[in-house]
Amino acid sequence: MELYIDAVYESLHKYGEELCGDKVEFVRADDYFLAVLADGLGSGVKANILSTLTSKIIATMFASGAQLEETLETIASTLPVCSERGLAYSTFTIIKVGRDGKVYTAEFDNPDLLYFHRNQLTPIPRETVEIGGKTIHVSHFEAESSDMIITFSDGVVHAGVGRLLDLGWQYDNIVNYVVENLEPNMSPRVITKKLLAAVNTLYMQKCGDDSTVCALALKPSRPATVMVGPPVNGEMDKIVVDKLMYSRGLKVVCGGTTSQIVSRVTGRELKVQIDYENPAVPPIATLPGVDLVTEGVLTLGKALDIIKGINDAGADSLESYTLSKKDGASRITKLLLEDATEVRFLVGRALNPAHQNPGMPVSLGLKLNLIKELAAELERTGKKVTVEYF
Amino acid sequence: MVVSVCVGSSCHMKGSYQVIKTFQELIKKNQLEDFVELKASFCMGRCLTGISVMVDDKPVDNVGFVNAESVFYEHIFPLAEAQKSGQ
Repeated sequence: MELYIDAVYESLHKYGEELCGDKVEFVRADDYFLAVLADGLGSGVKANILSTLTSKIIATMFASGAQLEETLETIASTLPVCSERGLAYSTFTIIKVGRDGKVYTAEFDNPDLLYFHRNQLTPIPRETVEIGGKTIHVSHFEAESSDMIITFSDGVVHAGVGRLLDLGWQYDNIVNYVVENLEPNMSPRVITKKLLAAVNTLYMQKCGDDSTVCALALKPSRPATVMVGPPVNGEMDKIVVDKLMYSRGLKVVCGGTTSQIVSRVTGRELKVQIDYENPAVPPIATLPGVDLVTEGVLTLGKALDIIKGINDAGADSLESYTLSKKDGASRITKLLLEDATEVRFLVGRALNPAHQNPGMPVSLGLKLNLIKELAAELERTGKKVTVEYF
Repeated sequence: MVVSVCVGSSCHMKGSYQVIKTFQELIKKNQLEDFVELKASFCMGRCLTGISVMVDDKPVDNVGFVNAESVFYEHIFPLAEAQKSGQ
């Protein structure tokens, strides 16, 4: 089974600092997902530069197939040396998860990552490797759908030092906290949020160190294919409709004319619902074999507004949003955000005669931009999005 | 008889919602529920002539939410009444 990796990270800055000294870098490739958490020496600008360089170099080099040794050499010769301490130093944790579930991790001086297999905290086989005087723990193991990997920086371990707790929160207590709070199928965002909320409380809202949590959940991949707009060349109609109908996962059609094309090619009846859930959003339709049929630009415009709102509101509100409304825009938002793990848009670029009149302030350019923006917002939520034009 | 109202993007913006609401109310008021089947439809390719409305496959031009009531009494009511009394 192909897997999708739902990954989230969040950081708390050291009190009084503009910049965070921890940095997480994600790379989403076709056949694997890579996360790098780096914690730079010190805090503020200096730490931020160290951790940004470290995470970015590792992510970029790993993504182009480099080995751990070469990557570490590059980092050692690139990082600027701290004038106070005479050191160039940043810790890191590398997690690479293949779509087949094969996991590779390399840890250097960060707190050990946690691996939950079938909701049970499971030890992973760690090998010690010496590279350039650094001791690195490397691990290979196979994970399954619904497994979770959680990693955090040492700011979490030290939470509360000098304030509520003399010795800080400490690793074992954090592990117990995660074990107690992690529920089956909990979203990585929720557990990240819970951990950091506890850290923030222990530091009494004034963090003594940058604290970062990064959580990865493995899920079965469930792509959604969205056909929107009629192809420029009418002869392509059948090809694009076939691409949609023979795709794996969820199928969505946006646009009145487009859905009529799908209906014609498949020979299935398109039924437009007459009941408006919301007078501002055109009604949806049904077509056998397609999960959702909506009107085009207006519905997508509303959906973009909803997704933007959720993204801009940040993590605080993500738990509480409920997309239970039944209008086309809410339905498509829910499908893309919650049900689908990746989204593929099949975009037709024909001029719609329906839009070529003064009463319809929608140009083709506007429509294409709308889809581009929607794709960008979806990527911000961590989805893999592809757009094909016809 | 079948009356279809377009709810495609262009017609939606011109006010198909109000037209459908008006038609639904008038059908109820005149007790024609058994004789008029009101349907929504996506783009009928007649975007330049007001909100697209088809009465038994015959297009009615220049429909807007302002004149929806008069369109109903002019184009739909007589046919439906004829059917009703013919039964």
